[in-house]
Amino acid sequence: MTTVYVGVGELAATNNPNEVIKTMALGSCVGVIVVSPLQKIAGLLHIALPESSINQKLSKLRPGMFADTGIPRLLEAIKQKGYDGKNRLIVKLAGGASIMDPNNTFNIGKRNVLAARKILWAYRLGAMAEDVGLSFSRTVSVDPVSGKVLISSPGRGEWEL
Amino acid sequence: MSQTHCLSPVELITEQINDLPLLPNVVHHLLMLMGKENRSVQEVVNLVETDVILTSKVLKVANSAAFSRGQVITSLHRAIVHLGEKMVVGIALGSCSPRIFSQPLEGYESAVGELWDHSLRTAIATREIIRYILHPVSADLAFTAGLLHDVGKAVLSEFLKGNGEYMASCCDSGEVENFLTIERRLSGTDHAEVGCAIARHWNLPEPLCSVIRDHHHPALAPQMDRELVYAVHVADLAAMLGGTGTGIDTLAYKLDSSFDQHLKLEQKELDQLLLAVEEEYGSKKASIFACIEE
Repeated sequence: MTTVYVGVGELAATNNPNEVIKTMALGSCVGVIVVSPLQKIAGLLHIALPESSINQKLSKLRPGMFADTGIPRLLEAIKQKGYDGKNRLIVKLAGGASIMDPNNTFNIGKRNVLAARKILWAYRLGAMAEDVGLSFSRTVSVDPVSGKVLISSPGRGEWEL
Repeated sequence: MSQTHCLSPVELITEQINDLPLLPNVVHHLLMLMGKENRSVQEVVNLVETDVILTSKVLKVANSAAFSRGQVITSLHRAIVHLGEKMVVGIALGSCSPRIFSQPLEGYESAVGELWDHSLRTAIATREIIRYILHPVSADLAFTAGLLHDVGKAVLSEFLKGNGEYMASCCDSGEVENFLTIERRLSGTDHAEVGCAIARHWNLPEPLCSVIRDHHHPALAPQMDRELVYAVHVADLAAMLGGTGTGIDTLAYKLDSSFDQHLKLEQKELDQLLLAVEEEYGSKKASIFACIEE
């Protein structure tokens, strides 16, 4: 089995039964995972910030960095792998953690989650499952064949989303 | 009848700190030099060239794809000007302190290299954050402070081993104010206090001791170092938000609510800061890390 690693601001899609897609250590970043269970296609995007308006030049170079430019690219990427747009698409979200901040000043994680949900809604998609928030980092992987999304975190083991 | 004295965790930790090798002379002198405001590049060159291995590493990083921009750099002086003195300190610290930066932090369930990654990202973030600080702070000192802030974890890690699940559950239940409380429960001390003892063992300049000791409680820092300590406090959290932490304790720290009295950092600036740090860190980390791993 080959692991395709997705870095910050990157995305990947696969229909290869011998591949899993993985992204390491999501802090306030959000992992958007899409799976077509019937066509056995999966995609994963690692977004760092909600909106591309903060740096449009960068959004052209690395659209995956932002929710509003990354999610459309993720959906294009799974279409390129054969997703026909008709079969059910399962969407899951992970990450969007925060530091312990009672005044909610550094609420980037929460803003990332809200932005991802909003962009997904524009495509009439909603997350079937979410593992977001709290104060720990998450490593996420998705297997296109089983459709399983696994999350792990130091001290917390591994669990299925 | 002889009595066996069982050492407490704090006594054992103190023993370990005293057994730590002193920093190589060249690194120690570089750190002292970074604290001087009116130093010249030539002074840094003179110091680096006394160490053949460090000289070759500085030249290697300067000629790496991330830094060289297609130029071939053969003179040490040019390499140091090209990289910046802060980066030279980073190379020196990373490559000359293998016991600190090149081991896994097993107690934190953190892999080899993660402490260095987190320290480098915090150093880059500190250098960016001082643009928003209300009173000026030396950029060179800020970078070095970011690199060294978590040095205590390298020693404390051993004393937290086997408690991963317990530590994670304390964090997730919200029963503790921050991870330092858990460290104190298990070892009688915390990584900030241990780090400060290491800094004193290495005879580091006082502002660096303050940063290492107070970076999770910046309001307690001595007045003269407080701005620097606030910068590292926020940079440390920004590095963790960016996904570069040291295992179980990642994100399990509290933002000091009076940070805005020292830093003019609104939401937009914070977003831009995180992007700038991500870009800089992403492009530079591979070159520097490769030189340290050798």
